[in-house]
Amino acid sequence: MNDQELFSFVEINSLETEQITAPRYSYWQSVLRTFFRRKINIAVLILLGVVLIFTYVYPALIGYDPAVDPYINLLDPTAKHLSPKGAMEKFGYNIHWILGTGASGQSTFDAVWYGAGISVSLALLCGLINLTVGVAVGAIWGFSRRVDAVMTEVYNIASNIPYILLISVVVLVLSASFFSMVFALTVTGWLAVAYFIRTQVMIIRDREYNLASRCLGTPLWRVAFRNILPFMTSVIVTLAAAEIPAYISYEVFLSYIGMGLSEMSLGRLIESAQSAMVTPGWGFEFWSPVAVASVITVVLYVVGQNLGDASDPRTHI
Amino acid sequence: MGRYLLWRILRGLLSVVIVVGIVMVLVYSGLDRELVFASDPVYSKQASNGRTVYKMQQWEKYGYVDYVPYTEYLLTKVRSGELSQEEYYAAASFADTPDRDSPEAARWIEAFREEYEKAPWQVVRLNADKKGSSEKYKEGGQPRLFAYRDIPVLGRLGRYLTGFIFIDTTNYVQENIENRGLTFTWRDPVYGGEKFSPAILGNGTRHKYLLYCDSRFPFVHQNFITLNLGTSYAVSTGSEVWETLTSPQGSFKPSYVTYPTGVQAYTADDLHSAQYAAGSLENGTNTLRAHFTDDYTLVRTHKQGLSKLGYSFLIGILAVALSYLIAIPLALWMARKRDKLPDRLGSSYIVFIMAVPSLAYIFLFKAIGGSLGLPTTFDMENPSYLMYVLPVISLALPAAANLMKWLRRYLVDQMSADYVRFARAGGLSSREIFRQHIFKNAVIPIVHGIPAAVLLALTGAIITERVYVVPGAGNVLTRAINAYDNGVIVGLVLFYGVLSVSSVILGDVLMSVVDPRISLRR
Repeated sequence: MNDQELFSFVEINSLETEQITAPRYSYWQSVLRTFFRRKINIAVLILLGVVLIFTYVYPALIGYDPAVDPYINLLDPTAKHLSPKGAMEKFGYNIHWILGTGASGQSTFDAVWYGAGISVSLALLCGLINLTVGVAVGAIWGFSRRVDAVMTEVYNIASNIPYILLISVVVLVLSASFFSMVFALTVTGWLAVAYFIRTQVMIIRDREYNLASRCLGTPLWRVAFRNILPFMTSVIVTLAAAEIPAYISYEVFLSYIGMGLSEMSLGRLIESAQSAMVTPGWGFEFWSPVAVASVITVVLYVVGQNLGDASDPRTHI
Repeated sequence: MGRYLLWRILRGLLSVVIVVGIVMVLVYSGLDRELVFASDPVYSKQASNGRTVYKMQQWEKYGYVDYVPYTEYLLTKVRSGELSQEEYYAAASFADTPDRDSPEAARWIEAFREEYEKAPWQVVRLNADKKGSSEKYKEGGQPRLFAYRDIPVLGRLGRYLTGFIFIDTTNYVQENIENRGLTFTWRDPVYGGEKFSPAILGNGTRHKYLLYCDSRFPFVHQNFITLNLGTSYAVSTGSEVWETLTSPQGSFKPSYVTYPTGVQAYTADDLHSAQYAAGSLENGTNTLRAHFTDDYTLVRTHKQGLSKLGYSFLIGILAVALSYLIAIPLALWMARKRDKLPDRLGSSYIVFIMAVPSLAYIFLFKAIGGSLGLPTTFDMENPSYLMYVLPVISLALPAAANLMKWLRRYLVDQMSADYVRFARAGGLSSREIFRQHIFKNAVIPIVHGIPAAVLLALTGAIITERVYVVPGAGNVLTRAINAYDNGVIVGLVLFYGVLSVSSVILGDVLMSVVDPRISLRR
């Protein structure tokens, strides 16, 4: 190209001048970019993947069923309460024995992951229900003063009913099955989420951009669900991150005090291994489900918290 | 502010009443009442009609039904004079089947049916259950006649709330006694009548001692107004819920006391707790008659240990104090060294406590403490200060993590406020700014939680108390639920409800005291 071509006047294009050229911004892409910028998050995510494979894929792969555990050795007293070393020497070097054996000679490792599957499913389902209902109700609750007056009283009353009592009544009336436990944990559980969201909504509902939106005639529900909820994505993700480990812990707690599930969840395993803990040499049986429960909850919590941090648009710059 | 507070208190009380109502519906209507007998050894020994009657009697105790046996109905008629003693025996002996009743009995049964055979009452007559064709009854097979009704929810709630506060008056005793009234004395007869110790004694009241002093905290005690949270049947048989929570535990603690007859003895009897029991002196043993001069013979005993509430509160309050002592300096340090090592370490600790199941870290603390040689179980008989260490730490460390999390958040938020930059420009050192300005502002929301932390220490901690075998209040609710002890459940819910409502109100008051910008006026 010669100079003439390089230094010629360009015609003014009125259409192009109207275009705003800013770098393309996609919210979720930025969330992921911020999330993966920290190396520790990749490590924790891999750990989460491993944990999830063991909770869901591993028991299915070996076809584990607690009722017909292939390794139960009821007749052989020397197969019970073995330490990992003892079990491996007895049964051969196999992944089943790396946590030793339990009270009926079964593999602790298999039982722990099968139990983890039940506990994690319970926590995920409860978290999902509570968050969906809680966020939807909380958004309306924070907006309408009339709803606020009623719901605050409902909250005051419901939060004073002991959780343990409610759960035990539901369990006695229905059964101690998985779904009645989900029902018992969510029947008032969503109220706490809704109350938290309500407070957050109240903080930002009177900001100028919402006022402007209202003045332009946007219906209230649209303001609630399109203007305010996206603003709170990071809050909700952080809440979810705390909620799911909390339910796993709560399941363990309930089983420990004898009000838990009838299925062999992590909590039930811990409860049934309680007596083994005081016997010298059997401690492994108790500590291994406790340790697995702790690893699962910590991993879920850290991933959730960091995802919550990353989903705050202020960290995207 | 006064009017607003009054309004808040009334609304709080209303919600507590509704909570109690809901819990009553849950436990009395939600649960299968046959479950009461699931682990009752007496029930399995009962047979035939006897079993039906036993069920009714138990259900009346547990508060499910009003139950009136035919003989009790006749006795009220005897008392009102409509029936003489001789006629009573004739009327009470109803036959094995209705067609064999004597005319006298039939007439009174008819009257009984007339009185009770209207809804919601039901009259039940169980014919005799005999062995084959012989005239002998099977075990428990005697004929029975009674009326019963289910107690409606609202009636039960009303009955419960009106009986909630008991005010002792000289008209409490129904029997004919002389010299009703209160007497004041400077010298309490329990201490032999020599020692200076003012007391008010009652005659005709439920409690003999209405006001007295002793060496136990708070040193002056009263019995004019007592709380009645209901009666326990399974958790601690026959005693009141409030008493279950507040009476001392452990082995007897004897001391020298002077009985009303003047006999001195080295005994654990707590004469200050004497209550009226009709006819107890007359029917009592010789030793009882040697000790007492009137029917105020129902005494509790002094025990070595604290009460359930006492242990829970002692451990709870120490833990609360310790958690604030740990959390405030650490949170300040974390906020000042933000994103540096102290902050990182503190944050990992917070994540550990938030995420790991509470059961896991309490057992971890127990294992660590045990290997350091600290006592891991609670022993009421050989009390030592060391046995409090692990329960207190197990409660304080998690609570401190929670406090640190919030206080650090508030501190960091305040650090970016405009007044901080202004103070910095004004030449204040960062230490001064932190102490004088940032901390004072950040701590306000924390202050709101202090009354709740203190008051809810009374409810006890379920896992900690279980793990360290502390005889506290934490497991009373779970025990009551497992034993279907409805009286205890309802009583505890009321107690917990009042505690949590008042702690929220007190938190608001405290916050408005600390921060004059917050006004409780509408």
